Amino acid sequence: MADITAIKHRIRSIGDTHQITKAMELISVAKMRKMMDKQAYSALYFDSVRATVKDILCHSADVHNKYTTPRGGGRAAYVVIAGDKGLAGAFNNNVLGLAWEHMQRYPVHYVITIGQMARAFFETKRQPVDLEFTHAVASPTLHDARGIVRDILDLYDKNLMDEVYVVFTHMHSSSDYAPEIVKLLPIEEKDIKAEVRATYSGDLCYDPSPHEVLDVLVPQYLIGMIYTTLIHSAASEHAARMVAMSSANKNAEKMLDTLGLEYNRLRQGAITSELLDLTSGKFFRESAAQGGQRKE
Amino acid sequence: MPNKFYLEIITPEKTFFRGDVESIQIPAVGGDCMIMAGHQPMVFATQPGRIAITADGTSREAFMSEGFIEVRPDATIAFSQAVEWPEDIDERRAEEAKERAEEMVRRNRSAAEYRLNRIALQRAFARLRVKHHEYGDK
Repeated sequence: MADITAIKHRIRSIGDTHQITKAMELISVAKMRKMMDKQAYSALYFDSVRATVKDILCHSADVHNKYTTPRGGGRAAYVVIAGDKGLAGAFNNNVLGLAWEHMQRYPVHYVITIGQMARAFFETKRQPVDLEFTHAVASPTLHDARGIVRDILDLYDKNLMDEVYVVFTHMHSSSDYAPEIVKLLPIEEKDIKAEVRATYSGDLCYDPSPHEVLDVLVPQYLIGMIYTTLIHSAASEHAARMVAMSSANKNAEKMLDTLGLEYNRLRQGAITSELLDLTSGKFFRESAAQGGQRKE
Repeated sequence: MPNKFYLEIITPEKTFFRGDVESIQIPAVGGDCMIMAGHQPMVFATQPGRIAITADGTSREAFMSEGFIEVRPDATIAFSQAVEWPEDIDERRAEEAKERAEEMVRRNRSAAEYRLNRIALQRAFARLRVKHHEYGDK
């Protein structure tokens, strides 16, 4: 049977861990809410950008931008978005596994990682990482997205790659999220998922020309894609952590229950044996004293 | 009584403006434009500059970064990365951005960088001018 002080020790340490996981769960809930709010605002904006880009590409076949023309090679680049921290269940593993699997199809590929876990993963797989961002995961801002897009376009402009994919975790709802791959470059009409605008379906004119509007829209489109994927990833990470932490909480409570029971039993046992010692000691002393009196 | 139309100005972070207006002046890529009710459906690309919204006879200015404006029969919607009222513009930040961009333009390393820096400079200038209400003096 375990030592009573050892059990006391374990109860204390599990209690501490329980407190931490409880705090982490609450934080994740709050952060996930915040991310989902952000997502709602940005979706309004970037969905329209996407719809307009699609509209231009759809209606004006002769309009081309250097980012909308396929290059036709097989060199792919991957932007892999994972978390900065672990303790989020299978969140990081899922998205990284998907990226790794997809990568094996292309002989030449570049890897751009966003988040510490992504970088660590490729290091263990001995896959050199060409570009890494580590600050943008916890709370993505438009500024971060702009910087990332600029660096990616830099590489793309140098003609180092033909296609750019983004691997991220898409969040459908707080309990439903799954890793996904989307093509970022070149921009092709069939890849743009946009709902058909319901309010107006007539032809729109473009001022000064569809070409120039597209030139303005393409960077916005790319920034929007990166920003939304970053936010989706962050929200999913927090959702995954929330679930992981709540199960950790449950386990901790269960452990505390059984340990508490055992501790109480041991304590009770110790008290009983002590009482036994005392009473038997007293009994013997009394009987010894009585025996002495009798002798006198 | 001039006709009104429904205007919405949206940025990725918030809805900046929503309401019925008489006109809006925008810094389109092809030159400044005024949009009034009953405009032909159109999409304008805009460069960083000043917008002026006129509603109920009074006009308000604001800074708008690059973006685009969609004029539809039912609503006009402006999309931009950043839209700010004059009182919300951080003057010192804009000043710093201006100096940084000027420095970068001077170094002038590549065509792509030049273009980026020129837009950054344009943004900073537009912010400062909206802040100081200098557009009216032209």
